[in-house]
Amino acid sequence: MTIRLPTWIGSAVFTVKRVWKRRVRFRVGLIIVSAITLLAILSPFIVPYPSEGWGLIPLNNTNVSGQPPSLNHLFGTDDKGRDLFSRVLLGSSTALLQIVLVVGVSLVIGLTLGVLAAYYKGLVEYSLNYLIEVFLALPAILIAIPLKMAFGPGLHVIIASMVLTWWAWYGRVASVYARSVCEMDYVVIPKLSGLPGYKIVVRHVLRNVSPPVIVQAVTDFGSVLLEASAINFLGFGLPPDYPDWGVIAQNGLYYITKMPWISLIPGFFIMVTALGFSMIGDALRDELDPKLRRRWRLWF
Amino acid sequence: MLETPGGQDYLVKVENVTAGYLSVKSFSSLTKTFTPVLRDINLSLRDGERVAVIGESGSGKTTLLKVILGLLKPVKGRVLIEGLDIYSSRKAWLRAVKKLGYVPQDPFKALDPRVKIKTSLMEPLETSRYSREEVNRLIKEAVKLVGLPEEVIEYYPSSLSGGMLQRVLIARALINRPKLFLLDEPTSSLDVSTQAQIINLINKIYHNYKMGILLVTHDLAVAQYLAERVIILREGRVIEEGFFEDVILNPRHEYTRLLVKSYMMEPI
Amino acid sequence: MVLAVESKGLSIGYLDEEDRVLWVVKNVDMQVREGEIYCLVGESGCGKTTLGSSIAGVLPPYSVTRGELVIYGRRVIKDVLRSYEGVRGKLTSYIPQNPGSSLSPYMRIWDQFWRVLREQGLNEKTAKERATAILKTLSLGQGVLEHYPHELSGGMQQRVAIGLSLATGAKVLVADEPTSSVDANLKLQLMRLFKDVRDNYGVTIVLITHDILLAGKACDRIAVMYAGEIVEEGDSTSVLTRPLHPYTKLLVDVVPMLGFKKTLASIPGEPPKPGLLREGCYFYERCPFRDEVCLNHVETQVIDGRRVKCWKPLVDKTTS
Repeated sequence: MTIRLPTWIGSAVFTVKRVWKRRVRFRVGLIIVSAITLLAILSPFIVPYPSEGWGLIPLNNTNVSGQPPSLNHLFGTDDKGRDLFSRVLLGSSTALLQIVLVVGVSLVIGLTLGVLAAYYKGLVEYSLNYLIEVFLALPAILIAIPLKMAFGPGLHVIIASMVLTWWAWYGRVASVYARSVCEMDYVVIPKLSGLPGYKIVVRHVLRNVSPPVIVQAVTDFGSVLLEASAINFLGFGLPPDYPDWGVIAQNGLYYITKMPWISLIPGFFIMVTALGFSMIGDALRDELDPKLRRRWRLWF
Repeated sequence: MLETPGGQDYLVKVENVTAGYLSVKSFSSLTKTFTPVLRDINLSLRDGERVAVIGESGSGKTTLLKVILGLLKPVKGRVLIEGLDIYSSRKAWLRAVKKLGYVPQDPFKALDPRVKIKTSLMEPLETSRYSREEVNRLIKEAVKLVGLPEEVIEYYPSSLSGGMLQRVLIARALINRPKLFLLDEPTSSLDVSTQAQIINLINKIYHNYKMGILLVTHDLAVAQYLAERVIILREGRVIEEGFFEDVILNPRHEYTRLLVKSYMMEPI
Repeated sequence: MVLAVESKGLSIGYLDEEDRVLWVVKNVDMQVREGEIYCLVGESGCGKTTLGSSIAGVLPPYSVTRGELVIYGRRVIKDVLRSYEGVRGKLTSYIPQNPGSSLSPYMRIWDQFWRVLREQGLNEKTAKERATAILKTLSLGQGVLEHYPHELSGGMQQRVAIGLSLATGAKVLVADEPTSSVDANLKLQLMRLFKDVRDNYGVTIVLITHDILLAGKACDRIAVMYAGEIVEEGDSTSVLTRPLHPYTKLLVDVVPMLGFKKTLASIPGEPPKPGLLREGCYFYERCPFRDEVCLNHVETQVIDGRRVKCWKPLVDKTTS
């Protein structure tokens, strides 16, 4: 029995294969991202010191605290004696979790609102544009601070504050694409057959607007990671015991001269991961833009 | 032009229509400015009649089609399709619009690029209660009628050329057996050789089904092959109408005379 | 007789995403005489725009070339190498299809003229006089110089674009589909303008169009293109009234004409997609006069000073 895959998977695979062949940047980026993703998935199973890693047991083992990298502790231990390798390893899964949640939820909200606004136009569109401008101007940290004060630090705070600012970005991108899609006759003609509005929106508008917006979202992964890590680093997102790269970096800030590895190692991971994502994004964008197709001929 | 009271005799009757676009000035003032595009338009078409509306860009011809399709409500006047005022209620519009078959201008923008031809052709039949077999049969018939091979329905629009896409659009417009065929610049985006094929196709369909045809175009020569009566639109007003031969040989308006002249084979 | 443009065996192709070459101009020999209005006529995909771009020097970087192209004795294309130094923008000038888009929206018309004329070493006063003189021959007043492009109508923008081309001092103007977005009654006016420009300035004009009747009215010589080849080249009146190539004849027959017979001739099938290569005649499938020989054999003949790419052209078959 053959399973029919939707066509977009086929074209996605084709594009990936082609970009892989042609651009070095893509290969490097994809390797980095795949490695991090693999780590993130496996980390809960392979973490050497799980209780220390998850920060469940507030450790204050001064015997082993502040140790530089060694065989026992690959990345050393932090100021509270917790194994840094475990924390950083688990940090990969929290990083990915935050990225996926933030981008995913923002996409859903932004796409829906953007598409609806472009289709129904009028007051709906006008107010949405207004909202988008307001929310785009807000930095996520500004929302994180009161949220943390009110509800205490936690995953809900960081996700909520980032989603509240990022949805507007996808809302704008979606509404711009949707505006031109709604001009197309294949959106007008079903109306003439009596098809109800919501069916047209889902079937024709959403289907055609989603791909470029999703591509845009994928290229945003790096930026989302950087922003989330920054907020966590400042202490307005996740609590200080949480295995998150930004949080760990903050832990080690006070000891940066004596025990630099505590801050530098997670910082390095943030940088490399973000770089990997941005390389993929760049390569995809270059590949998909036909004007940038180049083969420099000999000009004399 | 003969004026007959009541709209029942006509397939389409446009009465004293003035239509245009509103634009919101600013959020705070909420004042809207109205730009009229069509002024005092009167047009009528009987069953089986073929009328061409000729106008240059900016003359309002696309707006006229939108008004007749029920997509743009006129600020003055009304539009009757088989006696029904299509702007009186949504129900009236839904009933009337089923009798119309619309072929839009740009074949590349008129089909959803993400769905197969088959699905695009199925869509107009969705609101009617046809069985699956009937739908398939109607699709195959329509494709055959426009001279395309049956396999075409499994393709995506990107695999087809402009001429083939135009035929698909005609097939889609025909699939509900409409009484009025509305064509917006059916050949403007096509090559000369394909244009000729489409003109012949439309004529062939007309001779088989004798439905009404309302054609909107800027090309007087093309229109002459497809219609008997012509209406000349300029800056939103009807400046001339009548049978083709009369308008070409005895134009009443200077603009018409110049228009006809530009189609004649004259050296520079 | 000076040849403004000459090509020998010129082929131009584009690289697609998989780095394969799609040939859109195949082995073209053409000759454009100085001071004439020469039309490249054909349907979409026949290669006329690419050929025109190669003359103007605006081929994109992902294009490939073979053969030779010579402009006023300067070889600009020699197989894969291209050299437009001193030719592009100086000897040749390109007027794109949408003239408004070639005008910078942020500069006044005068600034755009100044940018061109400054290159020629003129001082501001002389440049302004020259610009005004050029605009005058195009029926535009001096006031136009103060405006921005978006303040002018489409027709005026087109004339400004032509004026800028003339200001460069170019001797060959390549106009890409100048009448496509123009209303019917203005088409003839525009063609008359090109003729006036040629008469006043002695430039050579290469016109790219799909409208064969317009080409017949406005041009001295026509080159009919199909599938990347020139299938017929010669004096425009005789090409249109007594076509030698079957495609030319059909191209004239299928144009809807006002006031004539009610049934329209048509060519079955579709124009071929670019990239196809074959030994014989590309028009084979659609030609009503075809013969088995045509599939493998095609030759260029010279009849009555015209060149035809058909081994049995329509001699002694007259059409009106």
